[in-house]
Amino acid sequence: MDGADGQIDALQGLRILVVEDEMLVAMFVEGVLIDLGCLVVGPAGRLPQAIRLAAAESIDGALLDLNLDGDEVYSVADKLAERNIPFAFATGHSAVHLKNPYRDRPLIQKPYGVRQIQELLHTWVKIGPG
Amino acid sequence: MTSRKKIAVRKKNTPLQRARPAASSARKVPPSAANTDVPTRRLVVGIGASAGGLEAFQTFFANMPSNSGLAFVLVQHLDPHHKTMLAELLSRHTKMTVSEAQDGTFAAPNTVSIIPPDATLTIQDGRLRVSTPAPDRLTRRPIDSFLCSLAEDQGDNAVCIILSGGGSDGTIGLRAVKEQGGLTLAQSQVDDRALAGMPSSAASTGLVDYVVPVETMPAKLIEYQRHLLEVDAQKDPDGLRQDGPTHLKEICVSLRNQLGHDFSEYKEATLIRRIQRRMQVLHVDTMPAYIAILKKDSHEAELLFRDLLIGVTHFFRDPLAFEALETTIIPQIVKSKGADDTIRVWVAGCATGEEAYSIAILLHEAVAKRLVKPKIIVFATDIDDRAIAIARAGRYQTSSLDDFTHERQARWFVQDGEHYCPIKVIRESCIFSVHSVFKDPPFSKLDLISCRNLLIYLDAALQDRIFRVFHYALRPSGYLFLGFSEGIGRRGNLFAAADKKHRIFRRRDDAPSSFPHFSSPGSISQKPSTTGEQSPRSVEDDIAARVDALVEKYSPPHIVVDKSHEVVRFFGRTGKYLEPSSGPASLKLFSVLKKSLRPIVRAALQEVVAKGHRVLRENIPIETDGSTELLNVSVETLPDPAGESESSLYVVVFHDHEPTASIVNPTPTLVPGRVGKAKMRDAEAELRATKQHLQLAIDEAEHASEELKSANEEYQSVNEELQSTNEELETSKEEMQSINEELQTVNAELNSKNDLMNRLNADLKNLLESTQIATIFLGDDLHIRSFTPAMGVIFNIRDSDRGRPITDLANLMGYETIAVDVQNVLRTLSVVEREIQLAEHGATYIMRIRPYRTIDKILDGVVITFIDIADRKRGEQIHARMAAIVESSQDAIVGHSLDGVISSWNAAAELIFGYTAAEAIGKSISILIPADRSDDVPGFLEKLKRGERVEHFEIRRVGKGNVPIDVSLSISPVKNEKGEMIAASTIARDVTERALAEAHRKLLMAELDHRVKNSLMTVQSIAKLTLRRAGSLEEFAASFESRLMALSRTHNLLIESKWEGAVLRSIVAGELAPYQSADGARCTILGVTVRLAPGRALAIGMALHELATNAAKYGALSDPQGHVSVAWEIRDRGEGSRFTMNWIESGGPPVSPPKRRGFGSHLIMRGLAYDLQGEARLDFDPAGVRCTIEFPLEPGVEVT
Repeated sequence: MDGADGQIDALQGLRILVVEDEMLVAMFVEGVLIDLGCLVVGPAGRLPQAIRLAAAESIDGALLDLNLDGDEVYSVADKLAERNIPFAFATGHSAVHLKNPYRDRPLIQKPYGVRQIQELLHTWVKIGPG
Repeated sequence: MTSRKKIAVRKKNTPLQRARPAASSARKVPPSAANTDVPTRRLVVGIGASAGGLEAFQTFFANMPSNSGLAFVLVQHLDPHHKTMLAELLSRHTKMTVSEAQDGTFAAPNTVSIIPPDATLTIQDGRLRVSTPAPDRLTRRPIDSFLCSLAEDQGDNAVCIILSGGGSDGTIGLRAVKEQGGLTLAQSQVDDRALAGMPSSAASTGLVDYVVPVETMPAKLIEYQRHLLEVDAQKDPDGLRQDGPTHLKEICVSLRNQLGHDFSEYKEATLIRRIQRRMQVLHVDTMPAYIAILKKDSHEAELLFRDLLIGVTHFFRDPLAFEALETTIIPQIVKSKGADDTIRVWVAGCATGEEAYSIAILLHEAVAKRLVKPKIIVFATDIDDRAIAIARAGRYQTSSLDDFTHERQARWFVQDGEHYCPIKVIRESCIFSVHSVFKDPPFSKLDLISCRNLLIYLDAALQDRIFRVFHYALRPSGYLFLGFSEGIGRRGNLFAAADKKHRIFRRRDDAPSSFPHFSSPGSISQKPSTTGEQSPRSVEDDIAARVDALVEKYSPPHIVVDKSHEVVRFFGRTGKYLEPSSGPASLKLFSVLKKSLRPIVRAALQEVVAKGHRVLRENIPIETDGSTELLNVSVETLPDPAGESESSLYVVVFHDHEPTASIVNPTPTLVPGRVGKAKMRDAEAELRATKQHLQLAIDEAEHASEELKSANEEYQSVNEELQSTNEELETSKEEMQSINEELQTVNAELNSKNDLMNRLNADLKNLLESTQIATIFLGDDLHIRSFTPAMGVIFNIRDSDRGRPITDLANLMGYETIAVDVQNVLRTLSVVEREIQLAEHGATYIMRIRPYRTIDKILDGVVITFIDIADRKRGEQIHARMAAIVESSQDAIVGHSLDGVISSWNAAAELIFGYTAAEAIGKSISILIPADRSDDVPGFLEKLKRGERVEHFEIRRVGKGNVPIDVSLSISPVKNEKGEMIAASTIARDVTERALAEAHRKLLMAELDHRVKNSLMTVQSIAKLTLRRAGSLEEFAASFESRLMALSRTHNLLIESKWEGAVLRSIVAGELAPYQSADGARCTILGVTVRLAPGRALAIGMALHELATNAAKYGALSDPQGHVSVAWEIRDRGEGSRFTMNWIESGGPPVSPPKRRGFGSHLIMRGLAYDLQGEARLDFDPAGVRCTIEFPLEPGVEVT
């Protein structure tokens, strides 16, 4: 859609895990990722499913809604961290404190748009997926 | 203990040292100082102080010039374990060197030495002696120790000052200083009254010269020193004023006139020394000036009198002597007594009674060891009425008992406050009275006389008299106990040593005992009587003796006889006039005189006795060696050199005639011659007859004379009998006099006791009358003994009820069981307490029954008190009300003292802080203060102390287990009636709730923020998703708007339910509302009422919206005939129940599946399944669209 072709190319085929409990938002993110040429893993709306995916699927990065129908998403993060997969948290809270050891992980404020997702993915591409 | 003993030993020596020349003190001045020009007087000032001493010291030295020439030694009670800062603190107030005393240094002028901690300081030869460690706390009396050594070492150069301090340390030392002629001062409080504690203890001895404020002490010292130096010039080498003796008589007369006590026979040196002291204290320079004061001011006479009587006495003074008394003498006295006998002891010069009590204690101890218990009376006398008053009171400082064994102290003394009193049995054995040994008749039949350290003050003649008094007063083999340096002197004939070392003597019974003559106060100067004694003063002069010998040679022979005709002395050659009768040897004149002289001399002697003048009998024939001589006999009274008219001696003088002198009856001479022989014969015959006749007459006369003689002898024996009767009577009279004196003594004692009783009685009466507490005294038998007036008012008891049993009155009190209670009290000796209600008075009383104990702790009935507690009841009610308020308060109310100790703790406090009242009360308020801010209280306290309230302020406190609690505090001072703050009350309101609410609000804000952001995200997603499929902008706008509206509707439902869940029916109805027919037939809605959680509600709402819009555009709802049915059900309710909802369209245009999957179907097919964790099916049945939504219901979903 928007953004330089090169950049989009760089994102081609990335397998991104989406963990988001709200249907409409998940649909939106899914749409955005597809537009960017990524493959969506999930989306997962509940913790058990998300953990399962995070543990087993081939994933290049993940976007984790912090609050998953009342559960915090850290156990998913643990799995990803274990596998050295980059991930970012998304939340509606304006001043949230991530728990350790995830203080320094990227955090995207809701509402976010295509741009934020795109930038996030680019940072991962630059760092490289391990 | 060692230091105490030292004091005791020194004391023993005091009488000797008393007479020590003052000049000797110069010897004690350090050699270096003695070289200066300044006069040799060096006053050493010992200052004692304890608590509060620092301030007094500072004041003292601030007023003391630094060049006074005085040496100061400070003795303070110090903590043995701490170094004292005193030296440093004092050197700021004086230029003198202030240093801690070092052993062996001189107490140099213009220096200040301070006792080191944990040490005993003494002075010896002008050098300070420091011995460590100090005795333990109980026996430590550093001030006494130092002052006693100061007195001994420095004599009248010693000055002692007692400053502020508690207890009685210093009092003994002050006595010693005073006794040695030193100056004594004590700190005053106001109006010359001694400061409580050490100064007042010292002042109570009456031996303090000045009781003044500290500021004025330095001036007094300097003046005293100046005066001392001036007066020194007028003194002889013994330190006595040279003009002393000349004025002494006048002073004695003045004292006798004012006080009735004669000191003229006291030792001159002692008198002068004591008078000098008074002069120094008064700063009087000359004796006449002092005499003037003495005459003018009766108070001064009194003061001098007291000074003259200073005597140091304490219990068992001179312990070794008392030990000797205890072990050897007293057992003998006690052994000789039966149960009915009385041991009689006289303590002459008893001062303040310690000696008398000591002896009484020894006697009681000895008696207690025996089965037979004789009575004990100790007469204790002194001329000092004040000392006697102290002795009678029998209250002694704790310090005076230091030499007692613990056992003795506990056995014979009872503690009364700070004093010790001899127990009753000891007290009752001692009878104290004001009595003069030389003025008043003595006691008699005594077993022991103790007269210690009195004789040393008296001159030889007075001592002599007193020994005779004692000899008279003692019973045979009685004992005399004298002071350390006293002896019986020349009176070895009256007393024999029983224990020479300890000055105990036994009466010699072989010496004649005579009742001494006592001068009346008016004729004190009369010389002692010499009855039966030879005057010791008849010293024979050599010349007189020679003259006497010569006179005797020339004087006619004579005989001196006494009243009873006993020959006292023969003078000259009396042999030829004598012819002793046969029979027992006798010196009776009429047994030894020639028979022929006897009638004549007897007649003459009788005439002389009768008429008093000289009688002369002339020409008495006397036969000598067969010849007859003529003799003149004269009898006359022997003149008494004292000139007294009554004399019992007579002299009979024999004058021989010269043989040639006038012979009345000449011997017949033979005349030879011529006279007629017959005549001669006649004459001879006549002569013979006459001779015979004469012989007959002579025989008759002799016979008559013999008869007369025997009659006379009879008379004489009768006379002797009478005389002995008379003597017996005399003895009885003397005894009576002694007994009378004794009775008077006892009487005085009783009177003084009676006075005391009267006063106590009056006190008690006033107490009983003034007390509002109704009190009744009952005997053992429950009879009323006495009661207070208040009792009469309450129970209507009258005086006439005394003696009635209380049970008669029991119903008056509405208290029937009184007898039982009283018996209980008497049996168990416990206190019974009851509350009694008097119906008629409407009053309530607390009644206490206590056992009544006599002074001897013997149970004797009960005391019942009634205390009106109406006020207390009211108070209790108020208190209860207040307590209820406090208890019911939601705020913690905590009372605490100024130092923060919690005293009250209400229920709210327990609730808020978690500590129970039992846990909190007594603890510090700081348990509520977080450890990191323990310093926030003092500030409040400052404010409180100014009487201000500390109003509400919020602060963090901690409860039990360090739980933080936010409270709003207000602290109020609690004041007493004077307005002084005595405690504080803290009210704490728990604001944790408020803080929680605050936190909650913050949480809500965060949640709101979160929701809004989420909602915006949703809106963003809807917009993006809508946009993705919109054909035109208009289409986008319409779709977007309607979707937002649908979202908003579900939101509304959720808000109505406070975001707890929306009722499904309402969601469905809401979404179908725009298409519903008026009769509701177009859309049928059927299903149980189920409340869906917000997430689900939103998802279902959105799905229904999409279905409805789709139906309206293309399906059943696009046709007026179309029909939509929405039905749902829940199967397998409970665990694992599933929700199924069917959307069925019918009657609409034929349906064909859409070419492209729109937002709606996407949402339903994927999204719904995703969101609800269930399944959604969408069938494009040509008859109408069908949609089935199925998902598991979590347990607990509200279903009806």
